[in-house]
Amino acid sequence: MSSEFKVGVLVLMAIVVLFYMSFRVGKYGTLTRSGYEVVVHLPDVAGLDIKSPVELAGVEIGAVHKLSLDEYRAKASLLIKDNVKIPTDSKLVIRSFGILGDKYLAIVPGQAKTFLKPGDEITNVVAVADYDQMFRNVQSAAENFSDVMGQFKGMIGDQEKSNLKESLQNIKVVSGEFKEMVTQNKTNVTRIVSNVAQASDKFGPLADKADAAFTGINSIVRGVEEGKGSLGLLVKDETLYNDARDTVASLKTISAEIEQGKGTLGKLVKDETLYTDAEATMKSIKEMTESMNKGQGTLGKLMKDDTLATEAEKTMKKVQRAADSVQEQVPITVLGTIFGILF
Amino acid sequence: MDDTTIRIVDLYKSFNGQKVLDGINLDVKRGKITVIIGKSGGGKSVLMKHLIGLLKPDSGEIWIDGTEITKLNERELNQVRMKFGMLFQEAALFDSMNVFENVAFPLREHTRLQQKEIKRTVEEKLKAVGLLAFTEKLPSELSGGMKKRVGLARALALDPDIVLFDEPTSALDPVISLTIEDLIKETQTRFQKTYVVISHDIAGMFRIADTVAMLNNGKIVAAGSPYEIKRNGQEAVKEFLKATKIPGFAGGEL
Amino acid sequence: MFEGFVKPLFKPVTYAASEFGRVFFMLMEVAYWTFRGPFKFNNLFKQMEFIGVKSLGIVIITGGFTGMVLALQTYYGFRRFSSEGLVGVTVALSVTRELGPVLTALMVTGRAGSAMAAELGSMRVTEQIDALTVMALSPVKYLIVPRVLASLFMVPILTIIADFVGIIGGYFVGVKLLGINEGIFVNKMVRYVDLDDIYNGLAKAAVFGVILGLISCYKGFYTKGGAEGVGKATTEAVVVSSVTILISDYLLTSLLF
Ligand SMILES: Nc1ncnc2c1ncn2[C@@H]1O[C@H](COP(=O)(O)OP(=O)(O)O)[C@@H](O)[C@H]1O
Ligand SMILES: [Mg+2]
Repeated sequence: MSSEFKVGVLVLMAIVVLFYMSFRVGKYGTLTRSGYEVVVHLPDVAGLDIKSPVELAGVEIGAVHKLSLDEYRAKASLLIKDNVKIPTDSKLVIRSFGILGDKYLAIVPGQAKTFLKPGDEITNVVAVADYDQMFRNVQSAAENFSDVMGQFKGMIGDQEKSNLKESLQNIKVVSGEFKEMVTQNKTNVTRIVSNVAQASDKFGPLADKADAAFTGINSIVRGVEEGKGSLGLLVKDETLYNDARDTVASLKTISAEIEQGKGTLGKLVKDETLYTDAEATMKSIKEMTESMNKGQGTLGKLMKDDTLATEAEKTMKKVQRAADSVQEQVPITVLGTIFGILF
Repeated sequence: MDDTTIRIVDLYKSFNGQKVLDGINLDVKRGKITVIIGKSGGGKSVLMKHLIGLLKPDSGEIWIDGTEITKLNERELNQVRMKFGMLFQEAALFDSMNVFENVAFPLREHTRLQQKEIKRTVEEKLKAVGLLAFTEKLPSELSGGMKKRVGLARALALDPDIVLFDEPTSALDPVISLTIEDLIKETQTRFQKTYVVISHDIAGMFRIADTVAMLNNGKIVAAGSPYEIKRNGQEAVKEFLKATKIPGFAGGEL
Repeated sequence: MFEGFVKPLFKPVTYAASEFGRVFFMLMEVAYWTFRGPFKFNNLFKQMEFIGVKSLGIVIITGGFTGMVLALQTYYGFRRFSSEGLVGVTVALSVTRELGPVLTALMVTGRAGSAMAAELGSMRVTEQIDALTVMALSPVKYLIVPRVLASLFMVPILTIIADFVGIIGGYFVGVKLLGINEGIFVNKMVRYVDLDDIYNGLAKAAVFGVILGLISCYKGFYTKGGAEGVGKATTEAVVVSSVTILISDYLLTSLLF
């Protein structure tokens, strides 16, 4: 056999192998570019990529084909397989495979009898707080809370401890009254829950902060009851917020408790007036701390104030919104649970 | 054209401060055998490499048929080189080619001869050196003397005007040396080309030389017919001549 | 005193720089002679056979076992995150982008580069290279161009084989031995490996081919000092080629791909 022959055989073999590999890998790329294109505008495509899959009911039906910028929004072209018909009122959601997984686009089919044509746009994009965003919110909430609590720090000496205990006692009394109050308003609950879903986008981050703040209060209450020392000591610990995932996890355990009757969201959210003035609560907590800074009295005194009840009502609304912003990832009851325990 | 084919003028060459050629002056006559004799390590090979442009001198001139070659570029040098054939000290046959291909190589590269004519020429040359029966052998399968004969056949393949021999008989036993010397003389008489032979083997070379040049300390200390050289009164020459009379002198570079 | 102190530091630098300069000059010569006739292809084919066909076995073994051990190692890593499905794509990306080209080039260096240096080195010390020059032929054209071109062509060719065999090896270990789900293994691989991953790897392989061919030829071509010199040239050819391949791999990967 001549050199030419052997070299020829080797090169041919390599070309065949290269062609095969290119063909396999190029499956979603250049080699088989079949399907029709639909367009979608998204607020944020971070984590999405060309070739990210598009799924319907968990089945892959296409892939992201192009990503571009269109007037401060991301425009994604999706290449959908020809044999898949998408109803015009379908929704599109960005999802991810697991907590650390890649992003993909899920199409939630609508009811319409008309279908998307090549070049059409899916207008119904469901914005969902994803894990990244949730973690960010929880963390900044925790940071805010630590700011607030930082103001308590050092203000509460040993002589005020008893006052504090007293005031916490009062909080429990007040919460008992809430429970009664909400049981009398069961009818409103369902409507509230559905309203919350729509309101979620706007108030999500804010509510998250409140949520985390109350999580913190909750553990402080318990800590104080166990006599672990001053509030300052308790809140200076970073463990409260340095791991957002832990918080989510603990929220989940709380939600388990809720089902054992320790207080349900339903009971808590009865009163529609609870939702009328949310922001004031956080404000008032800040006011409380600020006035304490100014030496306007003990924490106990402030907590005993009659306005506390209405403030708490406002808080509840926030909690609802927070709950909604983490919809799909966190059971709505989790946040309610916090209040169940708190009040 | 006069009968000087190679003229060396004031040729100097040193390697890292070691003076090897220290002002060489020499004329080589056309159609004659010129033997350059000198000690081992005396710079004979270096001198020969200058003749064919493998080394560039520090200063000096080398004229080949009226062309000064030390300033030429590679392409121009190659024109000059086409006049030359060279037999290297170790024959320098191409390991990857058999005897036939080694001799045919210059023909294939520099002529447009048909395979048939190449075969005829190669066989003629190999016959001249007495190796027609060994065309299929690889160089590694040949003895030192056979290699040199193939090298000679290859050097003669293109019928060059000038043939250079670097120690054609070194490292060979006396009998083989004798046949190589005869071969050199015989081919030269037949083709009437200019032969330049370098060697340290005085006795053998004096038999075939038309002109002998004595290289010592980087200079040509004497040049003339063998007869004249034998008469030369210089210390260096006499010393070298005496050395050949040492019993058991076998030649070789070891 | 100052000189005595600086010179030992300075010498390796000037040496490396002038070596680099000479290699680069040789590259220019090779480029020049590549496009100058007369073209004789049987030399090229001989070298392609020597570098390509004869390295095939060693490249298959290297590629195969690399893919296999990669699958094994990444499996133990990914299992902790329950992402065994990523073993396939990790193996495929590592092999196509990095290990295929680099290991192939290193194996060819060890096998063919050393042989080229030794062959040219012994041609140098037995004056065969001078013989070519004396015959008015360019040793660069006759000896170096076919070798450099052959390794330019054959290293990518062998890399394709190494890539493929490596992936097959990874598949064998991952799916058949460790029991990773075949569908996930293959689909992730097919989805996340790009044509560019393969082709960039091959582009690197071509550069490595030139590097190893050129350096091995350079070291052999300028051998000094007899048989001992040939041994030294061979060793240097392998060491310098390998190191240059690894350094240029980093540069190419960070700058281009
Ligand atoms: N390329 C070179 N580099 C350095 N020194 C050399 C080179 N070629 C020859 N020499 C030195 O020149 C001297 C003459 O060598 P050479 O001409 O081979 O001697 P000879 O007369 O035995 O053929 C020697 O000492 C040798 O070491
Ligand atoms: Mg010599």
